[in-house]
Amino acid sequence: MTLADHSAMAAVPPRALTRFLHRHEAWRGYLLLAPALTLMAAAILFPLGMTVVMSTWSLSGYDMVTTPGIGNYTAMVENPMFGVLIGRSLAVATTATLVTVALCYPMAYFVAFHTYRHKALWLIVMTLPFWTSYLLRVFAWKVVLGYEGVLNTALLGLGVVEQPVAALLYSQTAVTIVLAHSWAAFAILPIYVSLEKIDRTYLEAAADLGDSPARRFWRITFPLSLPGVVAACIMMFVPTVGEYITPAMVGGPDGMLIGNLIQAMFGPMNNWPAGAALAVVMILTIGLAGLAFLLLDRLVRR
Amino acid sequence: MDVLDQLGALREGKLSRRAFGRSLFASGISLVTVPMLPRRAQAAAEDHATYFTWGGFDIPDYFDEYVAKRGELPNFVTFGSVEEALNKLSSGFVADIAHPCLSDVPRWSSTGLFQPVDTSRLSNWADMIPELWNVPYNLKDGMPWMVPFEWGQTSIAYRTDLFDLQGEESWDMLWDARHAGRLGSLGAGGDVWWCAAIKAGVPFDQINTDMAFEKISAVLREQRPLIRMYTDDTTSLDTALAAGEIVASMAWNSSVVSLSAQGVPVKFARPKEGALTWVCGMMLHAQAPKIDSAYDVLDSLISEAAAVFNMRDYGYGGVNRKAFAGFSDEELAVLGLSRNPVDTLQAGHFGIPQTAEWDRRMTETWEQIKLGF
Repeated sequence: MTLADHSAMAAVPPRALTRFLHRHEAWRGYLLLAPALTLMAAAILFPLGMTVVMSTWSLSGYDMVTTPGIGNYTAMVENPMFGVLIGRSLAVATTATLVTVALCYPMAYFVAFHTYRHKALWLIVMTLPFWTSYLLRVFAWKVVLGYEGVLNTALLGLGVVEQPVAALLYSQTAVTIVLAHSWAAFAILPIYVSLEKIDRTYLEAAADLGDSPARRFWRITFPLSLPGVVAACIMMFVPTVGEYITPAMVGGPDGMLIGNLIQAMFGPMNNWPAGAALAVVMILTIGLAGLAFLLLDRLVRR
Repeated sequence: MDVLDQLGALREGKLSRRAFGRSLFASGISLVTVPMLPRRAQAAAEDHATYFTWGGFDIPDYFDEYVAKRGELPNFVTFGSVEEALNKLSSGFVADIAHPCLSDVPRWSSTGLFQPVDTSRLSNWADMIPELWNVPYNLKDGMPWMVPFEWGQTSIAYRTDLFDLQGEESWDMLWDARHAGRLGSLGAGGDVWWCAAIKAGVPFDQINTDMAFEKISAVLREQRPLIRMYTDDTTSLDTALAAGEIVASMAWNSSVVSLSAQGVPVKFARPKEGALTWVCGMMLHAQAPKIDSAYDVLDSLISEAAAVFNMRDYGYGGVNRKAFAGFSDEELAVLGLSRNPVDTLQAGHFGIPQTAEWDRRMTETWEQIKLGF
């Protein structure tokens, strides 16, 4: 490398710009961030803005009328269908979240407190279901829950039931079960991290002062792991409330959620403005739920 | 500057910040520009037309002629229902050939997305059964908008061992409360609405009236609690029928043919009210990018071999007259066909083209009913 090279490179950007960038650190930062910011604006903010704008449009025949109006929103208030479906989505997502967190807590607890070697291996084993595609996992559940499926055959063989249980598949129960399984890793990991962080000396101190293991758990371990539990709830709830593919595959007529209606509006019903309005309402609903979780998190951390 | 110099400096930990930044800059530029450089010709798939069709028709068996001529299969993109397909096409998706049904033709052709087919470019056209395409709304200056590919019926497929049939076969079978929770249905309004019209006793020429909407919605709402699954995916439907998960379902010919071949005791009903009959086929996109290949695809799809496959393996009616010669009358009867296709077509109810407004209202009403409202 020679000196001549250096001067040639330095001459490329105009002097004024170089000087400006040297003087203003913030601008240097923005310049470095520019690619990421552009990508975000193009891939997230623009479509989001488009959705909001489109939700004020209306339809005439196959064409969209771009005069703004709130017709789509008033229709949503007038038609009870939307309220029922949103309510059902919230209920299913909440149940799935609670079930998952309750089931995953012991698993995370076990890895955090009762394994001493190969912890990474344990965690990998727990995320094993994630190694196959989401669609395959849902299909696998269809095989398990089906009318002549694994579960029904087992129940019949054991003599627990006389007729196959039809409600296992194509029902809200099926949606809840599949969601709880499919998103398990999202619940295990945050809980595990918060449990792992707990200072073991607290537990020793409690034991020395005469606390039973159960009291130790409820007074020390559980409260200290709550931030992880709240994080797990958010990670579960937000994606599952808008789920579309699981209800479409195992939900049956009564298991359809709001995501399926949005899909129908952008698909067969071909009413994009109404679909966009519904999507906006869902974003707001999930935003409110997220806010509630954040408040809960504040409360827990105090 | 020398790459080796730089690597050496890096190894000794003496690479200056400036030199490091410059290398990073250079690799960034090259990363961005590499895709712009001219590339070697890619796999030949780009030279073939794209065929936008129902899942299940994207199989090599229809393309013997095409492969013989061009060496490879065309490209496939699949859809689940015609509403979905038209929606995707009108939002800008371009496929050389799409696969709607005859009663969709007026609506589809009015979008301006399609061009009439020049039949002089199709070597197999002379063998076509004219009744399948020669209707006024399918013609523009003597050229058809749609080239027929298959025809058949929407009726009821039921398990002869599990469904307790009382009396004659009828659409009432799918409204039979004794089998509540064990009945299935297709999911697309294009089939369901018309079949429900037959069940409700609404004549097809009055389907665009408020009275028809009320009556049809009412029977569909009555049916919904009995239904275990609505699906457009014939594979799910066939699996559910084979497992006994559902004992009867609205279905197309193909379900019965494939299940019978697997030894499942299943029968395609001939409802006393009549079944829904239909003809489907291919339309050519107005801006078809691979027009020559597209005509070869069309020609292959209306060939004798493709029609024989349609009849033998799917139980659909073939569109090529030559195909019927290879079947005995008994074989045709088993498939639910007859030597003169016009007889079969006229025995059922044939869908009548409707306006875009009707289609929107029907689809919206039907989707809401499906969701339970």
